[in-house]
Parts: sequence; C-alpha cells; structure tokens
Amino acid sequence: MRRLFVSASLLALASCASTPVAAPPATPPAAEAPAPQDSESFRAKMPEPAKPPDLVLPTFEQAQLDNGLTVLVATRRQLPLVSVGIAFSAGSAQDPAGAAGTADIAYKMLLEGAGGKDTITLDNAFGDLGVSPSVGVTPDGAFLGVQVLTGNVQPALALLADVVRKPTFAPKDFERRKKQQLADIVRRLGSPGFLAQQAYLKAVFGEGHPYAHPTVGTPAEVSQLTLPTVQGFYRKHVGPKATALVVAGDLSKDQAVELAKKYFGDWKGTAVLPPAPPAPSVPPREQVRYVSKPGLEQTTVMVGRPGLAAGHPDEEALELATTVFGGFFGSRLNMNLREAKGYTYGAGASSDARLGVGPLTAQSAVRANVTGPAVTEFFRELADLRSRPITSQELESAREGLIRSFPGNFERVSGLGASAASLFYKRLPMDEFTRTVERLEKATPAEVQRVAEAYLDPAAMQLILVGDPDLIQTQVGPLHLGTLTKVDVAGAAGK
Amino acid sequence: MKALVAAAALALGFPVLAQEAKPLDSSRKELSIPHEKYTLKNGLEVILSVDRKLPVVAVNIWYHVGAFNEVPGRTGFAHLFEHMMFQGSKHVPDDVHISLLEQLGATDLNGTTSFDRTNYFETVPSNHLETALWLESDRMGFLLDTLTPEKLQTQQEVVKNERRLGTETEPYGIAQEKLWQALFPTPHPYHGAIIGSMADLEAATAEDVKAFFRQWYAPSNATLAIVGDFDVEKTKALVEKYFGSLRSAAKPEKPQVAPVKLAKEVVIRHDEQVATLPMLSMAWLSPAYFTQEDATADVLSTALTTGRASRLYKRLVLEKQLAQSVTASQQSLGAQSVFSIDVVARPGVSTDTLQKEVDALLDEVRKNGITPQEIARARTRYDTQFLSGLQSIGGFGGKADVLQNYNHFTGEPGYVEKDLARYQSVTPDSVKRYAQEYLRPEARVVLHAVPPPQAPAAPKENK
Repeated sequence: MRRLFVSASLLALASCASTPVAAPPATPPAAEAPAPQDSESFRAKMPEPAKPPDLVLPTFEQAQLDNGLTVLVATRRQLPLVSVGIAFSAGSAQDPAGAAGTADIAYKMLLEGAGGKDTITLDNAFGDLGVSPSVGVTPDGAFLGVQVLTGNVQPALALLADVVRKPTFAPKDFERRKKQQLADIVRRLGSPGFLAQQAYLKAVFGEGHPYAHPTVGTPAEVSQLTLPTVQGFYRKHVGPKATALVVAGDLSKDQAVELAKKYFGDWKGTAVLPPAPPAPSVPPREQVRYVSKPGLEQTTVMVGRPGLAAGHPDEEALELATTVFGGFFGSRLNMNLREAKGYTYGAGASSDARLGVGPLTAQSAVRANVTGPAVTEFFRELADLRSRPITSQELESAREGLIRSFPGNFERVSGLGASAASLFYKRLPMDEFTRTVERLEKATPAEVQRVAEAYLDPAAMQLILVGDPDLIQTQVGPLHLGTLTKVDVAGAAGK
Repeated sequence: MKALVAAAALALGFPVLAQEAKPLDSSRKELSIPHEKYTLKNGLEVILSVDRKLPVVAVNIWYHVGAFNEVPGRTGFAHLFEHMMFQGSKHVPDDVHISLLEQLGATDLNGTTSFDRTNYFETVPSNHLETALWLESDRMGFLLDTLTPEKLQTQQEVVKNERRLGTETEPYGIAQEKLWQALFPTPHPYHGAIIGSMADLEAATAEDVKAFFRQWYAPSNATLAIVGDFDVEKTKALVEKYFGSLRSAAKPEKPQVAPVKLAKEVVIRHDEQVATLPMLSMAWLSPAYFTQEDATADVLSTALTTGRASRLYKRLVLEKQLAQSVTASQQSLGAQSVFSIDVVARPGVSTDTLQKEVDALLDEVRKNGITPQEIARARTRYDTQFLSGLQSIGGFGGKADVLQNYNHFTGEPGYVEKDLARYQSVTPDSVKRYAQEYLRPEARVVLHAVPPPQAPAAPKENK
C-alpha cells in the first residue's frame, strides 16, 4: 500500500509513564470463581506499550490559479470517495453593522437556485449524485461541501460552480428564506444552550463586536434584511481571491488543479480576504448575567473570556493548560463536577483560536438544585490552577494525548476538508499541523503554568447562567461573584 | 478544540451511518470488509480485520444485551450498567479507564447502549493495542471485585443528569417519551426509554448491578472486534492471554416477546414546556431490522424528507411554508422497528393543519408509491454513506461497528451483500404496499406537542 503521509519527525517520547498506579484494591471475599492467583497475576500490571509508530499527520497541498483562486488538496486513495467543497473567507463576523444574519442567509440562498435551476431542480441534480448539500456558516467563514463517489466528482463540481458563480437570488426565495430564518431563531430560543451562548458571546466580546452576535442573526435584525443587502454581501465577499476549492480524498493535486481550472478558471471577482476582527478588551468580571427560565431542571453554566487568535505564540501552551483544566474527560473540571460530585453529565473547557481573538470557555449543564455549589467548583478549579500548579504528570498526559490522537482524528475525508477550510479561514500555512505538534512538544512546564495563570484567571472570567431565576438568586447571589443581572434572550441587559 | 467525550452516549438505535449501511449495485470490492471470525473456548466471539491505512487500532466489544433485556421496575438499567463499566475493576484503578486511554492518544472512545445491545470501543495508536485489551478484559472478567454502592450512587446522579439533558430540558424530550411509551405499552421491553425513568434509576442497587453482570456479561454473550493496523498472529495470542481464561458461562437465552399491534389510533396532546414551536409527530410500528420491509421503509423515509426536493419538505416547507422542518425515519430495531414523521410548525401554524397535510401526502404514497428516480437517488445516497462509514475503523458506525452490527443481528459479520440485496429489491410498487400495510391511519400514535401561547416570539432588543 502506498504511504500517504509524510511522517513527522519521530517523537522522542518516553513510553507512557503517566499512568496512575494505584495500590491494588483489596479483594472482597465474595469474588466469584477465583482463578488461581498466580495465573492471573499478570493482570496486576498495565502492559508495556510496543514501540510507537511514526506519527502520521494530515498533509495538505496548495495551489493557486491565475485568477487568485486557492486550491487545497489532501489526497487519500483507499476508498473511491472525495469530499469537494468551497471555503468562503467571509463569515458572520463580516455581517454589516445592524444586519446580523446576512452571511448566513446569503450563503443559504446559493442553494435556493443557481445556473438557471430552481430550488427543486438544483436539489434533484445533487440528489442524483447521492447528496443534499447544506452550507455551514461560522464567524470566520463558510463551507459548502459534498462528499461523493469519485465517479461523481465532475458533475458535483459543475453544480458547485453554478451555485458559487451564478446564484439566482430570486426575490420570492429570499422572502421565504427570511421567514424560515426568523422561525429558526424562534425555534432555537427553546434551547437553553442557545440562550446561554447568545448571552455569553455578548458578555465576552461586548455589544457590536463582530463575534458578539449569533451566526443566525437576531429577530430584530433579520426581519429588516433586504435582498440588496444580501446580494451586496455576496458581491463584496465572494470571488476567486477570497475563496478556496477544497478537495480531500481520491484525487491527486494535479487532478484537483485541472478540475479547478475547468470549472473556476475563468471566474472573475473583486472580493478580497477580510481583515481579522479587532481584539476585544478583557475587563474584570463585575456582573453575573443570567437568562431566566423558570422551573428549568438543569442550569446551563458558561464561564469564559476572550482567549487567543490563531497563530499566537501562547496557543499550544494554552491548549495544554485548557486540556488539563477541562479539555479531557479526565480533566480536573470534569472529574470533579461529574465523577466526584455527580452534578452533571459532563463539564468541559476549550480554547477556540479564531482568525481574531476567539473565546476561551468552560461550560456545563448542572442539576438545578446544585447550581450554587457547581458554580463554586468552577471558580475553585480556576483558582486551583494557581494554588495547585499543573503537575508534570498532568502536563505529559495532555501532551501525549493531544499529539498521539492526531492520526485517529483524521480518518475521514470530510474532516480533512473541514480542516483545510479552517486553515484557509485563519490564513494558516498548510503544514500547520506539523508545526502544532512541534509546538506542543516544545511547550515547557513553566510556560504552560504561566499561560494557565494568565488566561484562566478567575477574576477575568465572565459568568452566564440560564435557569430558574429564584434559584439563581438564592444560590448564586450569596457567592459574591458579581451583581446579578438579568439579560433578555438577545443578551442585552434587561431593565 | 476537543469535544468532551461522554462516557455514555445514549445511541438511540444504531448510529446513522451504519444503520444506513446500504451498499452499491455492483459488488464492489471496497464494500466487503475482509475479516476473520473465530470463537474462544469460553464462548467469546472474535472478529479480526486488518486495515493499514493509519497506525491505529480499534478495539470494539458488543455485549448482546440492551434495554430490551431489562426487568420491570428497572428501566434504564442496561445503560446505567454501561456507566459502571468505566468505574474500575479488580486490576484497573477506579475511574481511570477513559483518562488512561485519553492520555495515550485514543480517539472514538465511548460506550453506548441501545435497545438491542451495549458496546464499548476505543481507537488507540497501534502500539497500545495490548493496553486496550488489558482494560477491556479486566472489566469483562473482574468488574464486581471493586464495585461499591458509592460508585453506583455517583453514576446514578450522572445518568439522571444525562436524562435531564436529553429529556427534561430537551425540546420535545418528554413529549417524545410519551409517544414511545404509547407505541410499546407495558409489559413490552421497549416501553421504558433507553435512559429509563427517574424513579427506576433511583431504585437501582449494587445487587442489581451484580445480578445483571452475572447474567449478561459473560464472554459467551460478547463479541470482540479488532480492526486496524495489527499483526494477526501476535494479536490472536494476546486475545487468548487476556480473554481466554475468563469465566465461562452458558450463553443467556434471548427473551421471547410477542410483537405489539396497535388496535386503534392513539392521540396525545402534550403541553410542551421547553420548545417554542409546535411539533406534530406520527409513529407506526414497522418490521424489524434486516427484513425486506425495513429497507423499503428506509427508502420511503428518504423520499419523504431528505433534501429540498423531498416530498414533505417541498410541500410543507417550500410551497405552503407551514413547517419549519420535517424528518421521517425508520428506526431499525431487533424486535420491531418504528417509522416516524416529525414536523415542526412555523410560528402560528397548528399541528392539526400539519396533520391534514401529512395525511394528504401519505394518501398519495399509499395510492401511487414513489417514482423510480426517487428510489435510484436514495440508493446512490446510501452507497455514498456506506462507503463513508468505512473510513473510520472504530467509533460510531465505523468498520468495527459494521462488522459487529451484522454479526449481532444475522450471525454473519460479512452480511453486507445480503444487506444490499434488500435495497435492490425496492420498487415503486413495494413502497406503495409498505405504506398501505404499515402506515395505516388507524394503527399509529399521533403526538401534538404544543407550547403555551405566550412562548417567546421575537425577543426585545434593549439598546
């Protein structure tokens, strides 16, 4: 079999010495059918791992057409399957002021009719290839992709080219799409997680920041959207210089470039890559914001602040610190809130490094009647990063776990495609994953501890709760974490 | 950004990709998964399949027990038990199973419980295969040595939180549970949702855990699949070393349950407390997994709601703009499947209006079936999805799960050819017959989940 990957420098890793070795538990008298102790004694010790295999990282190749279109390729030959998609470099962060939801609707409109085909005809044409495309819009960009059998790549690209280059933008489709969007926002307002996220983004980034509004927009702003605004967004942001064709799977770079030329070579447009959103300020926490959902059986807890932009020198050290704090199942936060206390089904933390400074977040949904104690534990764990510094065992476990999970995390062409798109949004080089691994290897204990204390400082963490208002008053009020402030569902301070 | 790995995703039925394992017209070699199956002396089935794409190995164990095998008063027990399997065993310290694998670089690491089976899986860097076998064999053989009431109590709390997350605070969660229970009245073992009731979760004792383990968790009631980059002979020796000496017990009998029949239409009107938009759900009992009609039902559900051009979407979302979303599915299960249609209304649209529309559309299908084009598109879609599922060696619906799934339901890990033959046999006429015979208005449950009228419409923007 062909070797598909350039293996990264062999990591000089000591065999995993990070296993907690506990004293063997005392055998209770009622053990059933005990085997003779000596024949099973080999089980008492965790096996030694074999020699580690070379680390296989995803590799991406890049080309550019004369018109500026970027072509990103990750070749995988085992199965006759290809993920082809278009990565657009503008996302909801580029929504015009006062017109949240513009990007989301603009991209969704591409699939409502293009190249002379109406919604139904277009969908059936994709259906003949075995797919129903949808577009995923994020703050930093959007991805419109399909996964097809190798034999269907050309017709899929022909359709994608129509969708991207010749969208119809029919007024009746726009009116329907807008109504669907408004109803979709109403639907989402039933989800405690969505309410929490809206309030959270506004608290962390501040009113009016490009990352402060939900991608789907807000009812007030979406209801004001017009077709010219949406078409204006498309004209301003969609063009060969601001777009990448992403191909992952059963095609070579040469084949991909050939196809890119065929379907996109004569595409013209003036759109350019948008700038990164400005860095938000990081004020100390003064309020505890809550969204009122009377009688809710679980309180949604979100704790966080602005974190880092992609490419920041602290990125990997923060990734390691966040992993120890709340990234893994075995992290401090989850082992405390879920496994020791039984307050929740899961608690976690993550750093979302975006093109601009992204959020650094810890969250959980906790049993309503332990809202106060659970919030206390969140802040205790944050403070503990200072008083109980990250141990070398915690650090090495996180390091090994993150690095060694790379191959398993890139089994699917759709994942390769999505990762390539993400590199494009964030303007990162194609060998980013190799460099990530190198930086993960190099981060020193002192650096990780410094970054943990600097970024995971409890005083700078905003706190958002969604739950029963009386219970929040009673249980969180006395914790002196800030002024209890009720926010409405759009996240603006209530009266 | 790492997603939080939960120790017990409650897979409701088989993961989508594998459930839709609906292969190609041609007998393409890509679709068959080369494998070897053998049985240890103690009855443990072993399936080995080499895949050298990446230096990783998936270890995946199916225990042939699920919520179907619970006793009355203990709904949710199979899943609660699954949580206990992560809490340590005689030679493995308490509660380190996941963290230990995580820090070796494991991915696709979880356990899931369905009505028909419980599975446990992890994908590890190839040099850690033995560690995974050590962990899995210890909980298969020595779980009870370190079981304590305290461990159980914590996991009861965790699972009750899982239920709050997926049922009490999930839009339509309680409503869907009501619908399910109306489809399968007691004493049918599907009556309790997989997550179980709060009362039954509370009631579980350490003695229940012990009894369940002794009854169902014997090697003779389990299948171990290893898929990925490994040496076959060395691995066979390791499997013998870790699993060969585990206690042997007779394979437990599968309970015999009479199929349920609905004698008349059941209508549920539910005051929805979480969601903001009304939802109409209709559900029918449908033939079991791997029957011909189960494949026919899959094709029909795709034609009804997958894509903008699908029948229900086109009519209700595009043309009449009465619905926000439509979903039809055949949930394939071992004893009896469930065919359901869920329609979420636009603000201000009643579920009764939606019902009239859905009924009119179903009448068309009962009269005329669907077109050959719709069937062809569904087949192409399944081909692509099936192949897609083969990219992962482990995890939900990856290769190991596909082999296990066929083995569990048919006894043949390589059942793929016969599986796909079912989809070749679907015709416009067989879809029509299926709709006439199984989707009868007088043999269904209809759920109207309607939020109170003062549900938040557009939020106020306070500047």
